[in-house]
Amino acid sequence: MKRVFKGTAKELMIIIGISVLCGFAVNAYSPKGIALFGNWDTSKGVVSAKPKSHGNYFFEEIEEIQTAKEIFDRGDSLFVDARHPDAYHEGHIPGAVSLPVGRFDEMIEGFGSRYPTSTPIITYCSGRECEDSHNLARLLFTEGYTNIRIFIDGYPGWEEMGYPRE
Amino acid sequence: MNNTFEKILQNEWLELTIRWILGTIFVAASYYKIISPENFARAVYSYDLFPGYSINLIAIIFPYMECFTGLCLILGIYHRSAAILINAMLFGFIILLSINIMRGHQFDCGCFSFNGSGNTDSVYSMLIRNVILLLMGGFVLYYKGYRKWSFQKSSR
Repeated sequence: MKRVFKGTAKELMIIIGISVLCGFAVNAYSPKGIALFGNWDTSKGVVSAKPKSHGNYFFEEIEEIQTAKEIFDRGDSLFVDARHPDAYHEGHIPGAVSLPVGRFDEMIEGFGSRYPTSTPIITYCSGRECEDSHNLARLLFTEGYTNIRIFIDGYPGWEEMGYPRE
Repeated sequence: MNNTFEKILQNEWLELTIRWILGTIFVAASYYKIISPENFARAVYSYDLFPGYSINLIAIIFPYMECFTGLCLILGIYHRSAAILINAMLFGFIILLSINIMRGHQFDCGCFSFNGSGNTDSVYSMLIRNVILLLMGGFVLYYKGYRKWSFQKSSR
């Protein structure tokens, strides 16, 4: 009985050990690997597993909702909504253009013909638990847009402040 | 009647079928998690039960546990230990599901794919699926007879 228990414990350790080793090794070398510790605290910004492949991009994040409102009032930047079209139609920041990440490839041509790459852009999505605004910023950057900022509190934050919507 | 039932439970072909089905399900379930650790980490986060520092580590290690335990069952290596781990994972998942059902929390289970916008399966069907898998895991663990087409002949 003791021998069986010992054998099973050894086998368990082998399976777990190989899994741990493989997990860390593949994660270290895979381009899809993630950081060992992500940011999962919304008070510290947008939650993310911190994928290594996204490390080359850096965009300014607008952390204060009032700052986004000031930019909106100045009217010199284009707000781009990264959310699903249904969410956009339910309500969005006035004047914001819908460019859902999931439909980026089919919509970027039309977007590009209307807005030159020098347009100052503010991307947003559904707040700090959503990464679409970052993904959209990266996609727009690869299309040549360089003046991009991310409004990390997104539409829920805007709505909560009671700012105008359409 | 009891004798017949016991005979069925000791059937080598039944053990092989259940072991292969369970093993294949676990290997298949690990696939999306392995190719997309970022999405799986987000699914782990959506359970809203794990401390932040553990989420990425779970997303890095857990899919390989699923894959290797599944492979062990298919190939017939370390059956008992693989079945113990599989049952532990299933039991843990049932607990997670139950807690989230009780508090009415919506989440993406990230079981076989990621849809990113809430779960497609109802939590109850996930729960039933996991209980069935747990029964299968229990059967593989407690089976005493000869294990067919197995690299390791000992049935223990």
